[in-house]
Amino acid sequence: MIHILPPLISHSIVFANTIALMAISSTLTLSKTNVPNFAVATFGTVGIYIAFTCVKLIGLGLYLSIPFCFFGGGVVGVLTYLLVIKPLRKRGATSEELMISTLALDIFLIALINIYADYLTRSFKIMARDFTFSVYDKQIFGMDGVFVISTSLFFLIFIALHLLFTRTNLGVAMKAMGEKPFLAECDGVNTELLYLITWFIAGALPALAGVFFPVYWISNPTISLFVVVTVFSGCVLGGFTTMYDSALGGYIVAIAQTALVSYLSSIFGSWILSYNFLVPLLTMIVVIFVLPEGIKGLKWEKLAEILHREGIPR
Amino acid sequence: MISFPGIDFFMVLAVYIIIFLIITLSYNLAYGYTGIPDFGRAMAAGAGGFLCGYFPGRLAARMLGIKGDYLEQVIVVVDKVNLALEQSPALSIGILILSLIVGFIVAGSLGLFASLPIFRGIRLFYLGVTLLSIQISFNTIIYHWEPIIRGEHGVPVPDPFRWLTRYNLFGLSPGQMRALGMIVASTIVLVITWYFCTSLARSPAGRLLKAVRDDEKCIEALGRDVKRLYVKVMVLSYALTGMAGVLFAYYQGYIIGLHFERVTWTFWPIAMVILGGLASNKGTVLGTALFITMKRLITFYKRDLEGFLPFSPVWLDGLLLGVSLIILLIYAPRGLVPEKPELTIKRSDIERLRREVLRTEEDLD
Repeated sequence: MIHILPPLISHSIVFANTIALMAISSTLTLSKTNVPNFAVATFGTVGIYIAFTCVKLIGLGLYLSIPFCFFGGGVVGVLTYLLVIKPLRKRGATSEELMISTLALDIFLIALINIYADYLTRSFKIMARDFTFSVYDKQIFGMDGVFVISTSLFFLIFIALHLLFTRTNLGVAMKAMGEKPFLAECDGVNTELLYLITWFIAGALPALAGVFFPVYWISNPTISLFVVVTVFSGCVLGGFTTMYDSALGGYIVAIAQTALVSYLSSIFGSWILSYNFLVPLLTMIVVIFVLPEGIKGLKWEKLAEILHREGIPR
Repeated sequence: MISFPGIDFFMVLAVYIIIFLIITLSYNLAYGYTGIPDFGRAMAAGAGGFLCGYFPGRLAARMLGIKGDYLEQVIVVVDKVNLALEQSPALSIGILILSLIVGFIVAGSLGLFASLPIFRGIRLFYLGVTLLSIQISFNTIIYHWEPIIRGEHGVPVPDPFRWLTRYNLFGLSPGQMRALGMIVASTIVLVITWYFCTSLARSPAGRLLKAVRDDEKCIEALGRDVKRLYVKVMVLSYALTGMAGVLFAYYQGYIIGLHFERVTWTFWPIAMVILGGLASNKGTVLGTALFITMKRLITFYKRDLEGFLPFSPVWLDGLLLGVSLIILLIYAPRGLVPEKPELTIKRSDIERLRREVLRTEEDLD
């Protein structure tokens, strides 16, 4: 079999798709419902285990499990809103309390997934920890199926969300709700329904990303711990404002973490690979100190001027 | 048949409660009094704990003239150090005190580093995200960077309580004598922490912290440098937690790169503080004692639970923590001992003034 794409590129892009989907989810909950969601990466682990169940127990193909992951993740998102966020909002919880509640949810979900993994191992005698889906992936046009499908789905979802937020009344109402929920309610917007929709999307996107992750990387119930820093770093780089900035931020950080570190390892040696997690951390620190507003705060005109001065035409 | 806890259980329980009280009281200072959502607390405890794996063994080996590459022969070297410590209570106590001081300074410096983003005027939510990320990265560096504590293999920590095992008070076994020493040393640190936290809470500075938590903008408008205040609190709070990390490392006797993870050292303390009541030191004591007792009982009855649970009981920890935190936040956000309003003058004086005002109003009518 001839591979058109070098593995490094397909690995980087698949990782970037995964991180960008989670970054969009995280920014959505913050910008539309004012809840900083720390459980976003664990929603991805929920997706991993739904896909695992579909593939190993039901015998579905890997990519046939996508709708189940999407809807399963969406249901987890809706339950999060109904059982945790809504009661807290009702009693007027502060933003810090909401933040802590999502952290608590994160711990709860990780414990629950671990219990489920124990149950699968004991009842069905299958290895439910440290597994990959690499054997279930198929080649499409000489490229890894996960690369083609994750990239196509990412752009499809991105365009769908763009159309939803800019071309439909629902999207405009969501924007209004994100900015001034009370005014939106006065204007007849059913904010309750919009919160539910937002949380559905916020749960569905990371869970969908969870289908792709185990194709290249070993997965287990605590994998979210290693992904969450990259997701937040992407969001911070994007400025936590719009899904476009977050997706771009997620893409930049994820590619830097994989491709850049791989390039550096060819210069400095393979020991550097163990420290690839420092890329998102350093990105976050640099952004906070140099560009606190993220990509949005970049002064493009000034940048163009500097480049022009260096001899690069505008 | 269900077994009942013996003296060993209660001694371990006491050690854990005291160590976690140092952490929760200092965390209460940052979150309860000042409103800083610090999700990197594990890093402060880790600074003290990992330091114990790095510094005292090397120092003692050099002082005692023990030759050999420290990391390569760490078990032999620390054994020799422990033999020397067993014979010398003065050296043991000296090493313990020095470690606590260095742990205090290193963790405090880490607190300064962790709070630097505050100077960029970022939202507190950003600070929470950043601290959580820095903490995860800090632990991963320790785990991968072998020259510090051999990463996942870990290193033994010199035992400054070994000399106590030569004595036999109240019929206690050598292990129990060691635990007793640990309890005494931790209690001294706890008393210092308690005195500091309660004095600060009762002082004008404590009221200022609460005011910052309640309305940061208002305090800024009154001319106070809120960012500086945040940083000072973070440094002090991290420094105190660092000492708890030192004590835990000495208690464990062995430190590996996986210790000081975020669930036990950040989220459990948050739950304890919320259960007790924010900005309530008495509540924090109660919350910590309740949570730690529950946690230790789960560990103690782990084998009994394994018989009828279809999963490993270790996950009960996370389940209980997650559920209890969410329930607490929804139904009892003020905790078991809610914060009392700060009175700058005596209650009797307030009552007298209230009566005077009422009388004046009646006279005017």
